[in-house]
Amino acid sequence: MVKVYSFQGCPWCDKVKKYLQARGVEYETCDIEESEEAAKECQRISGDLAVPVTTIDGVNYVVGFDKRKIDELLASA
Amino acid sequence: MSVYDFTVKTKRGEDKSLADYKGKVLLIVNTASKCGFTPQFEELQKLYDDYKDKGFEVLGFPCNQFAGQEPGTNDEVQQFCKLNYGVTFPIFAKGDVRGENAQPLFKYLTAQKKFEGFDMNHPVAKPLLDALQKNFPEYLEGDGIKWNFTKFLVNRDGEVVARFEPTTTPAAIAKDIEALL
Repeated sequence: MVKVYSFQGCPWCDKVKKYLQARGVEYETCDIEESEEAAKECQRISGDLAVPVTTIDGVNYVVGFDKRKIDELLASA
Repeated sequence: MSVYDFTVKTKRGEDKSLADYKGKVLLIVNTASKCGFTPQFEELQKLYDDYKDKGFEVLGFPCNQFAGQEPGTNDEVQQFCKLNYGVTFPIFAKGDVRGENAQPLFKYLTAQKKFEGFDMNHPVAKPLLDALQKNFPEYLEGDGIKWNFTKFLVNRDGEVVARFEPTTTPAAIAKDIEALL
């Protein structure tokens, strides 16, 4: 399952989600503002609280709205 | 009447009385926009780090009223947003800071210290003024909060002693804080 770490009011997070929707990719939203657990996971995965962070395995991840890198991430899964 | 008479909401929705900060020098700031032009977060953190041991506290109040209309430098295309810029001073619950639904604390602060204009020497002053005239001309009237990062300095007795507009950088306030500590 693809996970998108994000928070409300983050336009880049919305872009990533719209892009995934357009590609027909199912994803789970992890709100790092609402959930402390999600924030901890995000910090552990990327070492920061900068979002969006897109990941499938919690190891490889993409920070920001970077279509090419997101494509690569999805292709590697 | 002083700021100690006000109670605000923490991020977790709990009541927090500002009387808990009695005896401290406070900088009360409406923060926002985890994306875009917000270097002031870092500067506020620096003030906090420099003076917290001397009895200084920064209190951040996030507000969405100015979101999505960020003026300023766009030379760097940032494709991510950082949660509260990793600051360690208290950030309270989101709420309005201007208009009818403004939090009482902000109604009080803006009544205590009036709007006296932007510092037009600050690089953001011109685009900020242009953006306000274009999108929110009504914001320019009266003493309400004009934009993110309006700062109110409160002395150890809970009196509001100064107001700094978004066009005054936190670093420029250091001497005013020192004078109160």
